[in-house]
Amino acid sequence: MAVSLLPGAALFATFFLVPLGVLVVTAFSRWGGLDLAWTGLENYRRMLDDPVFFSALGNTLFYAAAAVAVQVPLGVAAGMVLALRPRGWKAFRAIIFVPFVISGAAYALVFSMFYNARAGLLNNALAALGLPGDRDWLFDTATARWAVAGTFVFVVGFVMILVMAEIAAIPDEVYEAAQIDGASAWRQAVHITLPLLRNVIGTVILIRLLVDIGMFDVVFILTAGGPDDATATLALYAYRAYLNGEWGYANAVGSTILVVGVVLIVAVRRLFRVGEGR
Amino acid sequence: MSAARPRISRRSAPLAYAFLTLVALLALTPTVWVMVSSLKTGTQIFTGAGVLPDPVTLQGYIDAFTQIELHRYLLNTLLYATLGSAGAIAAAFLAAYPLARYGFRGRGTLVAGFSLALAIPVVGLATPEFFIMRELGLFDSRVGMVIFYAALQFPFTFVVLRSYLLATPRELEEAAAMDGAGYFTTVFRVVLPLTRPALATVGVVSFVQIWNEFFFANLFLISQEHQNVQLALAGFRSQFGFNVTGAIAGATIVMLVPIVVFVALQRQVIAGLTAGAVK
Repeated sequence: MAVSLLPGAALFATFFLVPLGVLVVTAFSRWGGLDLAWTGLENYRRMLDDPVFFSALGNTLFYAAAAVAVQVPLGVAAGMVLALRPRGWKAFRAIIFVPFVISGAAYALVFSMFYNARAGLLNNALAALGLPGDRDWLFDTATARWAVAGTFVFVVGFVMILVMAEIAAIPDEVYEAAQIDGASAWRQAVHITLPLLRNVIGTVILIRLLVDIGMFDVVFILTAGGPDDATATLALYAYRAYLNGEWGYANAVGSTILVVGVVLIVAVRRLFRVGEGR
Repeated sequence: MSAARPRISRRSAPLAYAFLTLVALLALTPTVWVMVSSLKTGTQIFTGAGVLPDPVTLQGYIDAFTQIELHRYLLNTLLYATLGSAGAIAAAFLAAYPLARYGFRGRGTLVAGFSLALAIPVVGLATPEFFIMRELGLFDSRVGMVIFYAALQFPFTFVVLRSYLLATPRELEEAAAMDGAGYFTTVFRVVLPLTRPALATVGVVSFVQIWNEFFFANLFLISQEHQNVQLALAGFRSQFGFNVTGAIAGATIVMLVPIVVFVALQRQVIAGLTAGAVK
């Protein structure tokens, strides 16, 4: 039996436990992979003195907030509407879910074309509508963050299917009384279903935050954090330090990412009482 | 579906369709536009003239294989996604069974540790992971990448498989034990066949996740001959900037693989994601 635990435990120890230890400990050092010198809190002090760190933190929280504010309500609404089983709901479920299985790298390529100042669909569509269509969305500091957020906030498929699964698990009896009273499907959705979704809404917000705290792919490929760090995230900021051979500093940022993650998780769990009964 | 369930009324259905169509358009328009553009000529793409390809050309697809050599990246990615998933599933199945069935000291700690790993924003661990891969001689190697992906997918696979086993009755295993079957005989002859639906579910999800992985591939793979399709996509903009049709056709192929997997195995994907999230 112990033998059977071994492969999993080895993978876990080598690629989760040990790296976690290395991360936290070397954050207090100057380290480039070979020589290591203990420097106490210097990395954290430097981090708190760097305005770029704060803009990366601000952007990361901005992306997380955008996802929670747009993706979650849209996804919950889509899941609730599909749970009312309009004709063709399976086709809609599949179509709305498809964007979720497309990678960040592919999205970066798609949106680099979509936002292209000259040949992109967005500007061409705006021009066709008689609106100004010459903005360079990704390289204008006024729009860059919004343009990046636009690549993922409408990908609501994951939220949608979790909500649908949760609704399917609601016992029929819950709806029976309402139907005797003759309440419409919309009323039942709002007054019966929605309050029962608290737990799953908390869960999707949690998962979304975890993804956004580590956001990297789209930003790295699409803008490399620019213009002028307007789109940089914490993960990208840490990656730059790693590229510079400043591993200790990268790990202080990495530790911060984990701490921000833990704080957000605890806060959301409390707020939505995730995991507690209905 | 029972009669007690609220169904949409005929009167409000148009509103529902309008909303669902809007959501679908918001999510898919840019992607579909790019996929359609993969049949355009380079000139048409650069001028941005017209939404539909005119004339239709397969030159982009030809370039994707002849110039960009997409097949090499596709093969690498297929290798990482199948073997990485298989490794994760094997390790997770072997660990999930005793941790679902037996009480022993340290069980709670192991379960908590394996499960909490699912909640770590792994990109924060970039530098230590790089260091460990290098020290183990796994840096920039295909074998290394497979092992790493198996580890990366292990927490998710473990959590789903264990919760599936917890919900599975143990009578058959007990009967096997009465017949004198040993531990591994029971695991492979009795438990494994019972777990097949869950294995399929985590296998599909994990395949798609590894197929789409960019961050660690970018960190660990420097030789072009080891790189995956996501790195190829990211490189298109710089390396193959001159061949935009090839890049778009390549991207279309790379996106279509998980889409086809999803459409063909919808039930498994949805079950897997739901189980992984709720547990």
